[in-house]
Amino acid sequence: MAQTMDGPDARARAGDLAAFEAVMRQYERLVLVTALRLLGNIEDAKDVSQEVFLRLYRNLGKVEAEANYQAWLYRVTVNLCNDVGRKRRPSVAVEDVPELVSGDADPQQSLTGAERQRVLRMSLRALSEKERAALVLRDLEGLSTREVASALGSSEATVRSQICKARVKMRDFVERYFRRRV
Amino acid sequence: MNCVDWEERIALYAGGDLSPAEAQGVERHLAECAGCQLLLSGLRESLVLVREVHGEPIEAAHFAAVRARVLAELERAPARGWRFAWGLAMAAAAMVVLMAIWPRQELKTVTHVPAPVVRAGGADPPVGGGTLGPPARTSRTVRPRRKAGPGGPERTGGSAPPEPMVVKLLTNDPDVVIYWITGTKGE
Repeated sequence: MAQTMDGPDARARAGDLAAFEAVMRQYERLVLVTALRLLGNIEDAKDVSQEVFLRLYRNLGKVEAEANYQAWLYRVTVNLCNDVGRKRRPSVAVEDVPELVSGDADPQQSLTGAERQRVLRMSLRALSEKERAALVLRDLEGLSTREVASALGSSEATVRSQICKARVKMRDFVERYFRRRV
Repeated sequence: MNCVDWEERIALYAGGDLSPAEAQGVERHLAECAGCQLLLSGLRESLVLVREVHGEPIEAAHFAAVRARVLAELERAPARGWRFAWGLAMAAAAMVVLMAIWPRQELKTVTHVPAPVVRAGGADPPVGGGTLGPPARTSRTVRPRRKAGPGGPERTGGSAPPEPMVVKLLTNDPDVVIYWITGTKGE
């Protein structure tokens, strides 16, 4: 994870937009995919990604001092997604999730692919901001607990607790929605 | 330790977040607890489902759109800076012009003194001359002698050689006399 940029970032700091575009290409997947996972909406995710890269451009020198672009990008992305999420919609409590009404033995299998995706994306909304961020970074982005803690500015113990709660809530959500024990 | 106490460890175990020693303790409990085995399978399956749905690739067009928007914004930013600088320069230029004009405006107020009489030293003032400011502007406020005396200089001075000219403005107030000296006649 501890990647640092050499070359393009120095030219980008000097105002070379082509060099900054190379920097964006290097990190665009990290930013846009994380934002999409946290927000569940591609247009919101693109807006957040745009803002993240604009902030990166303005803080190139400062970020280099941190010697860890990924942690900075994850932190800013998570914070901006939290801002967007607070303005856009309240989180969904697991208890408020309607059960899927189906007479099939396996309701999950009867769902269309799109509906299944929608439900599973919605499942992340059942988590608190911190739990969602911890789960996305650990279980979907594949960061280690230490890296998640660094990105979120938390202790490893706190992150482990958040990940644990998030996994149990996700399991409860899926079980409740599909009305079967998965 | 009952099963509720195992829940946190099992949740961490499901994602591979326990040390080998901790993992062995969980595995020993799982071997003898059907309820916790069910919990573990549920945790693992929900993780698989979430990873699956969030693992779909994003179209390249979305990445390109973000890049284009960011670069467009960065290219616009310097343009806005130049516009601001240009605006400042124009404001400064306007201030300079105003400061250059300001004294003349003060003198113009003097020319509003009613019925001044112009007497040019050694020469008649040219038509439109004998003013405090540019001749064309203040000619209305000056009352030049219309007729030159015999042997006097021509009124326009167009063909006469340049010579200094002194314009004396008399006002109704005897305490106020205004002199205007030009470098050359008619200027």
